[in-house]
Amino acid sequence: MSIKEAQQQSRLLRGIHRTLTGLHPVLESLIAALVGLLVGAILMYTWGFDPWKAYFALIQGAYGGSYEWASSLSRATPLILTALTFSICLRAGMFNIGAEGQMYMGAIAAVCITYFTLPPGLHHIVGLIFAATVGAAWSLVPAALKLMRGVSEVISTIMFNWIARWMALYLAIYVLVDPMRAEKTLSIPLTARFPILVPRTDLSYGIFVSIAFALFIYFLLWHTTTGYELRAAGLNPSAARYGGIRTKRTMFLSFILGGIAAGLAGATIVMGLPPTYAIYGGGGLPQLLNMGFDGMAVAMVGRNHPIGIIVAAIFFGGLNAGGRVMQFYGSNPVPLEMVRVVMGAIVLAMSIPELIRLFPMAKKGGQNLIRSLRRTTRSAPEEESA
Amino acid sequence: MSEVKAPSENGFFLRAERITKVYSDGTVALKEASLEIHPHEIIGLLGENGAGKTTLTKILSGLLPPTRGRVISPKGAVRFSSPREAFDFGIGMVHQHFALVGMFTAAENVALSFERPFSRLQLTKTIEDLEALMEESGLQVPLDVPVEKLSVGEQQRVEVLKVLSRDVDLLILDEPTSVLTPLEVDELFSLLRRLRDAGKSIILITHKLKEVQDVTDRIVILRQGEIVGDVQTAEATTERLAQLMVGHAMKQEVDAVELSDHELPVRKTHKAVDRSGRSILHVENLTARGNTRDIAVDDVSFDVYAGEIFGIAGVEGNGQSELVESLTGLRVPTSGIATINGANILGVDPRQIYRLGVAHIPEDRLELGLVLPFTLAENAILGVHRWKEFRGAFSILKWRSINQHVRELMDRFEIRAAGPNAPAKSLSGGNQQKLIVGRELAKDPAVIVAAQPTRGLDIGSAYYIRQTLLDMRGKGRAILLVSADLDEVLAYADRVAIMYEGKFMEVCSPDELNRERVGMLMGGVTAAREIA
Repeated sequence: MSIKEAQQQSRLLRGIHRTLTGLHPVLESLIAALVGLLVGAILMYTWGFDPWKAYFALIQGAYGGSYEWASSLSRATPLILTALTFSICLRAGMFNIGAEGQMYMGAIAAVCITYFTLPPGLHHIVGLIFAATVGAAWSLVPAALKLMRGVSEVISTIMFNWIARWMALYLAIYVLVDPMRAEKTLSIPLTARFPILVPRTDLSYGIFVSIAFALFIYFLLWHTTTGYELRAAGLNPSAARYGGIRTKRTMFLSFILGGIAAGLAGATIVMGLPPTYAIYGGGGLPQLLNMGFDGMAVAMVGRNHPIGIIVAAIFFGGLNAGGRVMQFYGSNPVPLEMVRVVMGAIVLAMSIPELIRLFPMAKKGGQNLIRSLRRTTRSAPEEESA
Repeated sequence: MSEVKAPSENGFFLRAERITKVYSDGTVALKEASLEIHPHEIIGLLGENGAGKTTLTKILSGLLPPTRGRVISPKGAVRFSSPREAFDFGIGMVHQHFALVGMFTAAENVALSFERPFSRLQLTKTIEDLEALMEESGLQVPLDVPVEKLSVGEQQRVEVLKVLSRDVDLLILDEPTSVLTPLEVDELFSLLRRLRDAGKSIILITHKLKEVQDVTDRIVILRQGEIVGDVQTAEATTERLAQLMVGHAMKQEVDAVELSDHELPVRKTHKAVDRSGRSILHVENLTARGNTRDIAVDDVSFDVYAGEIFGIAGVEGNGQSELVESLTGLRVPTSGIATINGANILGVDPRQIYRLGVAHIPEDRLELGLVLPFTLAENAILGVHRWKEFRGAFSILKWRSINQHVRELMDRFEIRAAGPNAPAKSLSGGNQQKLIVGRELAKDPAVIVAAQPTRGLDIGSAYYIRQTLLDMRGKGRAILLVSADLDEVLAYADRVAIMYEGKFMEVCSPDELNRERVGMLMGGVTAAREIA
């Protein structure tokens, strides 16, 4: 009897646990986004701004019309690709922080196509292939270090980001520099520029590269054996090995795909961003800076799913685009940095469930607290009777 | 009773009263277990895997709270919320896997156990105390060498010193001899006797019958969470202990028949195997190392013939897992030969082994057999996902035929699930196992390696899976059945090997064995005594 009771009790606890952790991922992302916006609102209020007006301006600036939509999508373009870099590798069980560096190298490779002339179309393709190859090659070194020498990919990709950053800066300032304008590199020739999609905006056909690659990754992961093996290896390496999957190969592959995505991100920025179609060396590569890291945030909010990533990138792109409007909005000029605060708060809110899962200590502490509370409430009447 | 320094009726040190433990997944690990521990005695805790030995000691040493029941001392009820509290009370446990910091010296490791946040490290005092303690106990360990450089026996001595330095009254040792050489075992036992004479209580967890008879004063036998015997060592015979440990005839099986409408289970299903027939799986002088680099499978040779179930019985951790892993491509053995129909399978990729017609029902179904977040359909093609049936041009998955395959499996193997797209983790244990069994048998294999195929399953599922294995035998497959469930092996295998410390103690027909004999062989007692 007592055993049955205890079993029932544990079943109930498990049920509650499942309900809490089984929150639909979309809902979880939505809640995180709302929490982020709420934190931003509280901060704005504390600093004497009107959060309602500010967010009105932000949303107007992000999705208020076709111009606004275009600028949001334009900012989403590279984010989709860098987010994919992180997600593909995470799906394969690898923590690739190197999108930033791989994207720098891709952008530099794309600039290199200014040195030869090709007919339009072919020139685009060559540019993309260049960037993708160089991005992939840049990611192969950490992958090889991981698989051959066991070097943590987190550390090596972070270090490679710095190498890439300063190398890109050097190349932009001294090698690929525009002789007429020392602050930027040579511009991509007309034959290789992505045409503008919406007139008088900076949204180019580059967005299709991003979306096509996201759809390709979706198809690869869920409709091919390659993707199946990759996901199996990421979720349970020992079961994958048992299933005859060569996990080293799938990890290597994930890094190659991730590098391609990051390289393409670099290419879409250089080949598809008016007005200059070049990298600014002056000011430390401002167009490229943080695009790789922001991609990780996008990947998290997009739940590492290519379709989710497209939606999340449009949201983050909208924050960036709308933020510019917000800071010039009439009587309520909220600094642009507030947008980054909101982004940071969203990422934190997203990671709370992950954190709880990561730190069994916190979980155990919570359980102990509950148990001791229960004990004090239960032991009180016992003492009276005794 | 005479040689035991007789404890008076009230002179107990600790008493566990009707302890019941139900784990959060619903497993009942202990049922109303009561145990009294006196000073001046060594208690042997004997039982098979999963009998509840470790759970009981974890509750005594404060690592786990009991679901029901209580632990009392002469001072009143005790309830520890941490091992540290148990330590302060005078209970120390030496775990099977040591909790030592490899880069620290023995002295530093002992000092660490005294650490409180922000307390001062008193290394000199610890070393002085330890030297005195080593003098007193006769346990000699170099104090200034990093413990990772010490032998396993010395590391264990550090663990014992760590516990003794806390001046405990009850010392619990979990399978202490499994890592020791015979000489070290003797040393450990003479230490335990000295400690007992000094008034300490000692609990020794083991499954080795000889040891438990050598050193203990009292033996407590656990089976399936219940204490089934509490005998004075002097009065216990090896046969009696073996019988208590492995239990009586297949009570569960009989219940199963009453519960389900299946026809009577094929008891004594074994048949004489035609040895002149084809040997499908051939293993010769196989030696493999375990995860801790010591020899786990020691020079094992056997053949499994077509239409035969070859059973391997034994207490878990005696090399069965390593043997299975070596034969299925998950572990590279040190030496030996293993072939399937003449083709080498040692050190070969699992994928190639499957191509030779091997089905592997793994021991750890959650860790190895399934990718839990994957759907039923995704799990149903693990290992066969490259088959032409499921993979088209450009390695595109044919979801339609996969889903159809899953529905067929669900029908044929009675897998109860919401549908092909239900996540595998939503399935019950029995259905998960049926999914694995179904997937593996759908390969139409020549050899089936089934490791603990019915462990933790409800009776109906277990019965079903055993019947499936019998069907496969009827179809001429060679089946290697590794199980810690003795009833299962004795009832279903045509030949049985009993594995102990990496070696086969005996290979024979189950008819030539009785439970006492098997129990003794499992406990490492070879003495060929005929039992009527």
